[in-house]
Parts: sequence; structure tokens; C-alpha cells
Amino acid sequence: MSNDESMDPMRLWREWFVKSEKSWSDALTEMMGDERFSDGMGRYVHEALHSHRMFGESMGQYLANLNIPSRGDILDMSDRLAQIEDTLGSIQVELRSQRALLTTLAAGTKSESKPKRPARTRKPQADAS
Amino acid sequence: MSSSTTAGRADDSDSELDARIENVVERTILRNIPGLSLHVSESDLDVGPTPKELVYSNETARLYHYEPLLDEIYRVPILLVMSPVAKGYILDLAEGQSLVEYLLLQGHDVYMLEWAAPRREQSELGLDDYVIDLVGGCIEAVVDDCGENEVTLVGYCMGGMLSAMYTALNPEGPVKNLVCFTTPVNGDGMELYKKWMSSPAFDIERLVKELGNIPGDFVNSSIQALRPLQRSANQMRLLNHAQDDAFVKAHLRFDRWAVDQLPVPGRLAIALARDFIVENKIVNNKLELRGELADFSKITVPFLHVAALHDHIVPAAASKDFIDLVGSEDKQEIVMKGGHVSLVAGGNAVFRLWPQLDSWLGARAL
Repeated sequence: MSNDESMDPMRLWREWFVKSEKSWSDALTEMMGDERFSDGMGRYVHEALHSHRMFGESMGQYLANLNIPSRGDILDMSDRLAQIEDTLGSIQVELRSQRALLTTLAAGTKSESKPKRPARTRKPQADAS
Repeated sequence: MSSSTTAGRADDSDSELDARIENVVERTILRNIPGLSLHVSESDLDVGPTPKELVYSNETARLYHYEPLLDEIYRVPILLVMSPVAKGYILDLAEGQSLVEYLLLQGHDVYMLEWAAPRREQSELGLDDYVIDLVGGCIEAVVDDCGENEVTLVGYCMGGMLSAMYTALNPEGPVKNLVCFTTPVNGDGMELYKKWMSSPAFDIERLVKELGNIPGDFVNSSIQALRPLQRSANQMRLLNHAQDDAFVKAHLRFDRWAVDQLPVPGRLAIALARDFIVENKIVNNKLELRGELADFSKITVPFLHVAALHDHIVPAAASKDFIDLVGSEDKQEIVMKGGHVSLVAGGNAVFRLWPQLDSWLGARAL
């Protein structure tokens, strides 16, 4: 089986690709750094934005007619879910502090019965310094 | 040539062909089983396994505290500050491959500031909000939670930028030590981004006006563009090791994180593009946040910067000035083998970065 694998042309090709990938990537990034490429990419991004907005507007009307949610509707729902998550997070934080407070009160004021937290007295190990 | 010899040779070649076909089929099945099983059972890829609790949240900031694993810990807690575009689980990737777990086992008290995806109305959050309110708020929350009035900030990539800016604005504040991994400070060193963003055809403000927040896909594409064929090469490598279950899982975890980029609030994106990349304000000492200059020379706390030798995302030209900008007497820069991500989370990090980090922190967390 190992002989088969070493002679597998696809495997050999993949290995060659992996070894030479960096130089190919460097060549591509050098091309992308060219001023003409940068200008072209900037123009492309803005054209794409314009097209995206036009398409969104036309599709929005079409989807509304079909009673199907648009991207904007989905984003609205996503924002509401995120707000709910944020609120849940705030509740979680509040519950944590209330639990800590209750634990302290339940333990009373005696130091030996206070909730045990790790001692902050650690020193570096001798062989690590 | 006799017919029996010919028939014999035909039989031999038929059986050899059968054996080869059987071999290929067997290898294909074996290759696909790990992949299929991982697709079916996502729990095998569970990331962020170390138990943690949410301590504080504000806008996009989420502060987590990891439960200490030892009965005796260092006095000064660590606050890991993630980049606003990346998820925090890269530092807690899996059991045995987790910086968080490692630090806990060495006796550190670990908190992590990671970021949630901004909602549309949070597109107005800017660099000043992130540094002053969100990072600042989390530091106060750590002080409040642990009962110590000093904190070590450990920032990764742009998290390091935010940490350094906060420390520069609050030199007498609660930051006791500052550690930054692969942190860019020189916009001129981010050559490709500088060329793109300096082009008159590229208008970041128009982009933000149309999109609000810069989508995570956009962020991911711009990072991939720095080494366009790397992802394909990683997939080739995966195919070559497809029968190795551990390799496949490790690859899928890294791959998941690599494409799991967070959207960037619009105003923050404008600040990063204009102030950092194009105008290079950090190095030129002109970066102001709410009217106050974030002068890195005012950073005087012990400082460690760790750079990766093969970092194509934050190359040396973008980070090497950091050590000269800070005003600390106790400062050190280490350049280690590895890439932008493998430095902190790769298989060799446990032998390279993590012990050095623990050693440096241990001496300064008393």
C-alpha cells in the first residue's frame, strides 16, 4: 500500500502544490499590489456595491409581492436575536454577582466559612525562572 | 507464444488490476470515514472546552473568567484581549492545545475579552469606544471581580493594538504588564493593504455607508488575499493525511476558526483604514482618541512583544518598530518560528511560546 501511495500521481501533485504554494502566493500578491490592480479593485468594489444595492431594491419588491422575507427582514430578525442574546448575557452577569453575594451572606462574616478562593500567593517555580 | 501463457498472463494482470481497484476503494473509504464522522458528529470538534463564566458585557465586549485549576495562583490576573475580527476560541482550541488551559495549569488567573458580532446599530462604535470604553470597562471589571488592583494585558494581533493604546492613555492605571503577540503598529508595513486603501478608487467611507458594518466574509477575503493559495494548499495537505484522525480534527478546527471572522463596526473600520494603515498615526505619534494622544512612549510597564518569523499577515515591517516605540525600561522582543496563528495555537506552541510566556509572566505577576 505504501508503494501505491508514493506512486499515486494525485498525491505527488498535491505534495508539489503544497511545497510550491508560497512562491505562487507571493507572485499573486505582488500582482495584486500593482497600482492598476488596486485601482481596478477599488472600482470593482464600488460597482459591486452599487449593483448589490440596485439588486436588493428590485428583489425586495419582488419578494414582498411573493410574501417572502427579504434580506433586510432577515437582518432585522438577526439584530433582534442578537439583542436578546445581549440581554441574556446581562442577566447571566447579574445572576453571577447575585450568586456571589448570596454565597458570601450565607457564609456569614466568619473568615473560615467564607467561600474559598485560591490563594494569590504563587511564586514562579525555581526551574522556570 | 502459447495460448496458455497468454491466458496465464491475462489472469495475472486481471488479478493485479482487481487488487489495485480493491486497494483504491479501501483507501477512499478509509479516507472518507473520518471526514464523514466529523460532519455527522460536530461535538468531536468542540472548541473552547475550558469552563468559563461571563463576567461582564458591554456593547460588543464579552469578558469571560476561566475557573482556576490550582489552589494557589499568581496575584496579578491575566486579561487576554482578542482582535475585534477574530473569535477567542483560537486560544482555547482543544484540550491539550489551549493557551488558556496551559496558563491555568501554571497557576495564572485568566480572563478573556472577546468580541461579539456587532449589530447594525453598533456600526457607530469606533476605535475610541473600543479602547476607552470596552477594553477599559473590561479591565475595571477584572479588578472588581478578582479583588486585585493590577492586571496583565495580553493582546493578540489587533487586541495588542487596543491593549497598547489603552496602556498609553492610562500610564498610571491598573495595567501592570503588557504582552503583545504578532501586533501591527506600522501601517506602512502592511504593504498590500496600504496600496489598496491608499488608492483613490477605494473609498472606505462609502463602503461603510452602504454596508454599515464590514461583513465577516469581506474581512476573511482580505486576509486570504495576503496568501491566496494557502487555503487550497491546506486542503491538499488534508487529503494527503485524510486517514489520520488527529490531523483531520486539528485541520478542521483551524479551518473553522480561519473563516469565522467577525464583522467590523463601520467607524472602527474607517479608523483602522485611515488612521492606522493610510496615515500611519501610531508610528508618527499622531493617534488621538477622544482628543488625547495615545503616545506609546508613555508605556512604561514591563513589555513583551512576540513576533512570528513566518507571519504573512503581520510581517516584520509592520511590527518591528513596536519595541522602540514603548518607553518601558523592562522590554523585550522575541521572534519565534511559526506563523501568525501557529505561534500561539499551533502544535509546537506548547514547546516554544507558552513556556517563555509563562516564565516572563510568572516573574512579573507577584
